Parts: sequence; C-alpha cells; structure tokens
Amino acid sequence: MNNNSNKMFFLFILFFSTLISISSNSWFGCWIGLEINLLSFIPLISNSKNLLSVETSLKYFLTQSLASINFLFMILIKFSLLKNFNMNNIISIMMNSSLLMKMGSAPFHFWFPNIVEGLSWMNNFMLMTWQKISPMILLSYYFNKNFLIFMIITNLIIGSLGGLNQTSLRKLLAFSSINNLGWMIFSIMISENLWLFYFLIYSMMISMMISLFFLMNMYFMNQLFINNMNFFIKLNLLINFLSLGGLPPFMGFMPKWIIINFLLINKFYFLTFIFMMTSLIIIYYYIRIIYSSFMFNYFKMKWVNLLMKNNMSLINLSSFISISSMILSTFIFM
Amino acid sequence: MMMMKFLFMMIFMIPLCFMKNMFWLVQMMLFFMMFLFMNLNLNIMCFFNMSYMFYCDIISFGLILLSIWICSLMIMASESLFKLNFYFNFFLFNVIFLLIMLYLTFSVLNLLLFYFFFEASLIPTLLLIIGWGYQPERIQAGMYLLFYTLFGSLPLLMGIIYIFNDLNTMTIYFLKFFNMNMYLLYISMIFAFLVKMPMYFVHLWLPKAHVEAPVSGSMILAGIMLKLGGYGLLRVMIFLQEVNLKLNYIWIIISLVGGLFISMKCFCQVDMKSLIAYSSVAHMSMVIGGIMVMNYWGFIGSYILMISHGLCSSGMFCLANINYERLHSRSLYINSGMMNFMPSMSLWWFLLLSSNMAAPPSLNLLGEISLINSLVSWSNISMILLMMISFFSAGYSLYLYSYIQHGKYFQGLYSFYVGSSREYLLLFLHWFPLNMMILKVDFISIWF
Repeated sequence: MNNNSNKMFFLFILFFSTLISISSNSWFGCWIGLEINLLSFIPLISNSKNLLSVETSLKYFLTQSLASINFLFMILIKFSLLKNFNMNNIISIMMNSSLLMKMGSAPFHFWFPNIVEGLSWMNNFMLMTWQKISPMILLSYYFNKNFLIFMIITNLIIGSLGGLNQTSLRKLLAFSSINNLGWMIFSIMISENLWLFYFLIYSMMISMMISLFFLMNMYFMNQLFINNMNFFIKLNLLINFLSLGGLPPFMGFMPKWIIINFLLINKFYFLTFIFMMTSLIIIYYYIRIIYSSFMFNYFKMKWVNLLMKNNMSLINLSSFISISSMILSTFIFM
Repeated sequence: MMMMKFLFMMIFMIPLCFMKNMFWLVQMMLFFMMFLFMNLNLNIMCFFNMSYMFYCDIISFGLILLSIWICSLMIMASESLFKLNFYFNFFLFNVIFLLIMLYLTFSVLNLLLFYFFFEASLIPTLLLIIGWGYQPERIQAGMYLLFYTLFGSLPLLMGIIYIFNDLNTMTIYFLKFFNMNMYLLYISMIFAFLVKMPMYFVHLWLPKAHVEAPVSGSMILAGIMLKLGGYGLLRVMIFLQEVNLKLNYIWIIISLVGGLFISMKCFCQVDMKSLIAYSSVAHMSMVIGGIMVMNYWGFIGSYILMISHGLCSSGMFCLANINYERLHSRSLYINSGMMNFMPSMSLWWFLLLSSNMAAPPSLNLLGEISLINSLVSWSNISMILLMMISFFSAGYSLYLYSYIQHGKYFQGLYSFYVGSSREYLLLFLHWFPLNMMILKVDFISIWF
C-alpha cells in the first residue's frame, strides 16, 4: 500500500520504539520510547500536499508531546526527587493520566475522534491498534486501582454515548475504540496475558473492518446505503460488525466473556452491569450502520457501481474465521 | 452418540442448501430427520442419551421435535421465495443454521453453552425478519427484538458466570443439588426468560416482530423462540426454589392481569397477524403463571400449552400468509367474506382457531385445564382472571374467524388460487399433531 520507502523506514522505527518503551529497565527509557514513537508517527501521517493532513499531524504532535512531557515530569518528581513509591498519591494519578491521554482514553479523549477524522484508513489502523500497546503496558507497571476503575467507567460511557450522533465511519470507530479501551484497561489490571488476548482479537476484528472500508473507499455512513454492494460484501460487513459488538456466536464474544468472568471473580458486580449496558448501546449504533446489509430488497441505485481495489479472498477467509472461531478454538486442546 | 448424529446430519445439510434445485430436498431431509428423531428411546425421570456434551430429557425431546417440525414446515410455507428466486439458498442456510442453534440450545449439558446458543439463535431470526420481511417497519421490529432480548439476557450471562464461580460446575444435571437463594441472582436469571416469553410489561417486541416477519420468521418466532423462555425457566427454577416461593406472586399477577389486558386488546386489532401475535402473549401469560406456581400440574400444563401453542400459532400465521399472498393485505377490512372464495381454507381457519380457543379435542384444552387447576390451587382469586382470559380467548378467536370468513367480501378482489395442495398439507401437518396427540399424552405429561 505504501510504495514510499521513507514510510517503511518510519514504520520500522515506530515498531522499534514501542519495543524500547516496553522493555526498558528504567522509567526514563520508557519515556524515550514514547518520544521516538511520536517522532516516527508524525511523518507517517503528515502529507504536505493535503492541508487537513498537516493540521491533523500538528494536533497529534501537540497533544502527545504534552502528555509525554507530563509523564517525564511526574516520573522525575516521583522517583528521583521524592523517591516515594506509594500508589495512592496525586502524582501517581497524574502519571496514569498522562498515559491515558497518550492512548486517547476518556476523560482525555477529546483529541481522538478529531484526529481519527483527519487520517486515512491505514493510518487509523496504526493509531487504533499499535499506538495503544506501549501506553497500556506502561500503565500495567504502575497503576492506581481506584482511579483506573473510575476511568474505565468514564471510558465505557463516553465511548457508547459519544457515537450515537455520528455519521462519519471514522468517528464511529473512534468512539468504539474508546469503549474497547475500557475493556482493555480492566484486562490490564487483571493480567498482561489477558490484555494480550483481548488486544489481539480486537486488532484482528478492527483490521478486518478497516481493510473492508479501505477497499470500498468508504468514509461516511450514507455511502453504505447508496452503493450497490455485492452480497458477499454485505454479509462480511454484517458479520464483522456483529462480531465487534460481542454477540454470540461470533469471535468477538469470546474476549468479552472471559473479561466478564474475571470481573465476577473479583466481585465487581455493578461494574459488570455498566460494561454490559454500554455494550448494548454500542450494538445499537453498529446495527444502524449495517441496516442496508441486512435488507435484501432496499432502494438500490443501479448507476453507482462499487469498484473494488483488490480481490476479496483474504477478507472472505477472515470473516469465515469470525464465524467459526468459537468452534475452532476448541481444537487448541488437540 | 445418538444426539451427535442428528447434529452432524444438520451440519451436512448446509452444503445441500447451496446446490441447484435442492429446495424441496432440504425439506424432505428435515422430515426424514424428524422421523429418525422420534425413534429415540424416551425415558422419563432421567437424562438419557448422554454423550460428550449432549443429553436429552423429556422436556428437551418434545421441544426438539417441535423445532424440527416447525423448521420443515417453514420451508414448505416459503415456496414463493423459491418461485421468485429471492435468495432462497441463503434462506435455506438460515433455516438450517437456526435449527442447529435451537437443537443445541435444547440439548447441551452446560448452562453456559445453553446461553451461548440461546443468544446465537437470535442472529438468524434477525436476518430472517430484516432480510425477507415485507414492510419497511421491519427494521424497527428487528431492533426491538434484538434489544429487548439482549437487555434481558446480559444479566443472565452475569448470573451464569456467578454460579460457575460459586459452584465450579455448569452441568444442568448437577444444579438440582444446590440452593442458590439470592434475590439479585434470582432476578438476573429469570428476567431473560420473562422477556423472551414474553411477560406483560416487556412484551412490546412481540407484536412488532411477529407482524413484520415473513411467514417463516413468524412461524419460528411463535413456534419455538417463545418456548426458549419457558424451557429456560423450567431449567433454572430448580436451584432457585425458595426465592421463587417468596416472590412468585409478582410474576403471576403481572402475567395474568397482563394476559387479561392483552386479550381485551385483541378485540381492537385491525391487522390479522397482530391479533394472532397478541393472542400468543395471552397464552404465554398463562404459561408463565403455571411455571411460577411450581406445582406438578403447573409444569405439566405449561409444557403442554407450550407445545400446542407452538403448533396452533404457527398454523394461524400460515393461514394469515395464505391470505396475504393472494390479497397482499393483512387488514381485517379487506380480508372479509373469504368463505365465498376459499372454502377449504375456511375449514382450516375453523379447526385452528377452535384449537386456539382451547376447544376439545385439542391439546390446548388439556394444557389450559391443567393450568387452571394449578393456578386455582395456588389461590382462589385467580379464578376470576383465568375465567376472563379463557372467555376472551374464545371471544377473539371467534371474532377473527367470523370477520374473515363471513360477511360481504371486498369488492376490489379479482381472482386467485383457491388453495394448493402444498398449503393444504402445510395446514394439515399443523393441525394433526395438535388434535391427535391428545389421544396419547403420556409422553409429554407424565414426568415421573
């Protein structure tokens, strides 16, 4: 997709910077990784011919550098100046907040839908999946439990209610990403393995959807209704969105089920209720997107032809995995 | 072993749906599977045919039989999809997928897997309603169906996982040895089934979904999907007995008084399918009453009423569709005086509506008598409510029959088919088990 070797170079540094950040021995090394991450992501998203893209990369730079300088300052005050490792401090809360701001989690999420609106689909994929890895893992090293539970609730509610009035597909996926961040922050509090499981399945589902939207070149909801889509594309869209919503029998049910299991083991009853009710609201706006793919006789315009960029066999395989993965996952015991 | 072979038979029917000209073959295979399934050894008092993760109980047996029967009749009723070439391959796949999910719901041993397939059966139903329905209101109907059911069943997931963490087992058979008597657990476990049944206050999805669904969707919704709620209640009550005995009066009163209001509302309906949908709610309200009372006659009566209501409502939706295919309207004003045009259908309207009002010798009669016995034994005052519900069900059944068959016909009619053999067979296959099973009821009504 990128025939530009500069982009390959910056992508390599992006991957490397995350690895620096999560595997360093000192907090200073984590900060260095975050800064290199920012530094290498900016050339990937800015395109000097497009004014919107330049503005988006500038906004991204401002918010992320604010967050990382905040992170550095809190690290230095806490661990070098005061040498205080107590987690119930205001300073540890501010450390967690700066990492939450790097991820785009509520209540520091206001930059996220804005920036997602200005990026192309592939850059969005990077932003929604890879850029969350290093702040998440850094969060898992030192977190304040009560603060994070409050942030989880905020994430869930904002992610579900914020997407109700959107028509742009990118902003809808941004709010769904904020909601899923709530699930992921909880899983980080339980164990890093659990987070990895949720994150991998979430990335797989998001990648299927984003590649589908990229191939169809769709950015807004009304484009889904007026196009003359092939039956298999519609089925694909249906399966992927229902899977992302967490409905059985699709693959997306499994991570949610396991997280609810851990929630109930740790006796977070009311929190589980909030998790479930917000996911109902999310399913509502997913279904609103895919109305047209459910209905087989709706108002179609014959002169709008959908031109697919590449072939669809990989996408068909991935939606087959979405349906059958609950059964296939039992084969891991063989 | 015995349960697994039917599962594989259904799974391997799926490639058959996508081959050319195999529409009627799939229906024949489903009838064949029904015949094979009927020959299972039926033991009362225990779980039989246990293998890997499957079992069969007397309740599961009857409901699986009903679901296979209704699915094969669904395909028979949807010949117009085949004639008009309207995605019938995917329709067949949908029906078989739904049958697999329902079969698995009734036959897995694990409570969490029961939940999984309970939820999974919603997806093909939603696809049936929105994909093959007729009116634009079907989107809203699909939303109501999905969200009412999901809102009820997410707390059920919470309850099931709580039980797993407490008891370390999910096998349905072992649950009878435990007592989980907590109020919040009780509410979360039974709310899902009450929404699905549906109980009066949470019944709004049913008139919408039944009316906007195509004939196959209406048949499966009225036939089996409502009974999933009843089946779940029967399984879950075992370990919640004490709380139920303290709190059941709430549900019985809501459902019986609600059944009374719904029966009265039936008289105001203009839409045929809407009337049949509301009568489903009224029958199910008695079923809820019977299960909640927790005596033996209550369970027997509700189970018999579930099976007979499945056959009867499904048959009535077929009749409504037969009229709809000819006149393209479900309204009572247009569908009047049909006795002049389709006298054979008039016979079937009469037979099925008389079963609906629980006239002898139908199975509904046995169910209602058992339910009346059990509810009156619980409290004498429920005599008033039951009297009114039974009276009004006779009332609106007669009202529907008389309005459709008698009177002056709509002058805008031109000419149409009197009634093909396929439609006759469809209705016969609905009516025959309903009225002939009363001759040997012991396989569904003697549980020990």
